[in-house]
Amino acid sequence: MIELDAGIADQLTEIGPASSIQVRVGTSNSFLVMCSLLQPLLQDFGMHGIYICASRSAAEMIQTFDSAGIDSTNLHFIDTVSSGFIGGTNNEYENIEYIDSPIMLESIMLRTLYWLESDPETPFFVVVDSVNALSIYNEGRMLAEYLHTFINTFRSREVLTAIVNVPDQTPPGVLANLDLYCTDLIDRGQVVIN
Amino acid sequence: MMPQSQYQRDRCVTGIDGLDEILRGGIPYGSTVLVAGTCGSGKTTLAMEFLVQGALQGEACAHFSATEPSVKLLENVRQFNFFDMRLVDQGRINVFDMDVLFSWLGMSKSSFDMDDIDAMVKAITDIVNTIGVTRLVIDSVTTLCYKIPNEQLIRDFLFKLGKSLSTLGCTSLLVSEITSAGAKSYWSSFGVEEAILDGIMVLGDIERMGHLLRFIQVVKMRGTPHSRAKYALELTPNGVMMTPMLKWGAVND
Repeated sequence: MIELDAGIADQLTEIGPASSIQVRVGTSNSFLVMCSLLQPLLQDFGMHGIYICASRSAAEMIQTFDSAGIDSTNLHFIDTVSSGFIGGTNNEYENIEYIDSPIMLESIMLRTLYWLESDPETPFFVVVDSVNALSIYNEGRMLAEYLHTFINTFRSREVLTAIVNVPDQTPPGVLANLDLYCTDLIDRGQVVIN
Repeated sequence: MMPQSQYQRDRCVTGIDGLDEILRGGIPYGSTVLVAGTCGSGKTTLAMEFLVQGALQGEACAHFSATEPSVKLLENVRQFNFFDMRLVDQGRINVFDMDVLFSWLGMSKSSFDMDDIDAMVKAITDIVNTIGVTRLVIDSVTTLCYKIPNEQLIRDFLFKLGKSLSTLGCTSLLVSEITSAGAKSYWSSFGVEEAILDGIMVLGDIERMGHLLRFIQVVKMRGTPHSRAKYALELTPNGVMMTPMLKWGAVND
């Protein structure tokens, strides 16, 4: 068990269901921030989540959340990482769906919409983890366009979105657009100034 | 502001996620629409979902299978949640093998003449008329056209078929197999289908860094304003889903 960042839970109580949150993390605290974000959404607010994995595989995330005491039963994972290597999709988890590559941004959107439409009565949140990983595969202006569409699509459906990024490693154009599109900011970015 | 026309044709609401929005309400009733696509692009699934959505609304539907035996077709679509075998058992979706139909008509020739074409159109329209079919799919019209020796006869066949089905108020999807869905390609296998029919939907793949993304684009649809943009298409367990394709990602690399 880890000690969660209570400030994030406090901030979430002031955020509406159609909000889009830019979640800035550092390279050393990303896991703590993610757990601190998920715990209140899942437990306190009773929401279900769709977790888009672009940084690490879904299986690894589930195991890590389990070790921190986060129940991932109500999380559905869209994994864009594990198809990138043979054997990556061999595991026992039933709440993971695989996309061939992080380059297939529209497929990620449609698979997310599919899960939302499969359970329309339940309040959902969507996490993109992370913009940095998506930017490895996607050109900056396409990624900016995607995030613009993504955020607006879910905002219009009153689905809370959390867009995770490491600000000092995010393409400046993409970061500027996130600043513009997102309604809220959870800033745990730990930018180091040399 | 542009003045808007007051008249709007009645629509066949496809019920397919996103498609009715692209078509600004659905396919105009009685239209014959070419669904042209490359292999694996989702033509058959889209066409079958069109019938299922109609059957669920109480419409009588017919599927004419020319490419694969109907048993195999039904086995393939059973994986989708939208498909319910009871719709077939209850006669709301009527599935016909074209090979069986040809056998009934005594059409065993490898090449059809005008009489054969007339007989085929009459057989299809008789079925439509008898059952009261309002949604029809022929999958694929390309397979049928391979048996027709020249472009003029293909044009005659499609014209007669489209006219007969339209007169009966039947909205029809004619599936067509094409080898390329690029900008300079034809929308049909024989180059004549596209000029005769009321609408053309093209399905294909965009290659993005070695990955294939399905897309759909409505190129033509008489009787309705519609989007002509490319939409990314995904086959989900609940059926076809669409979203606008990213503008910076809508070209083959």
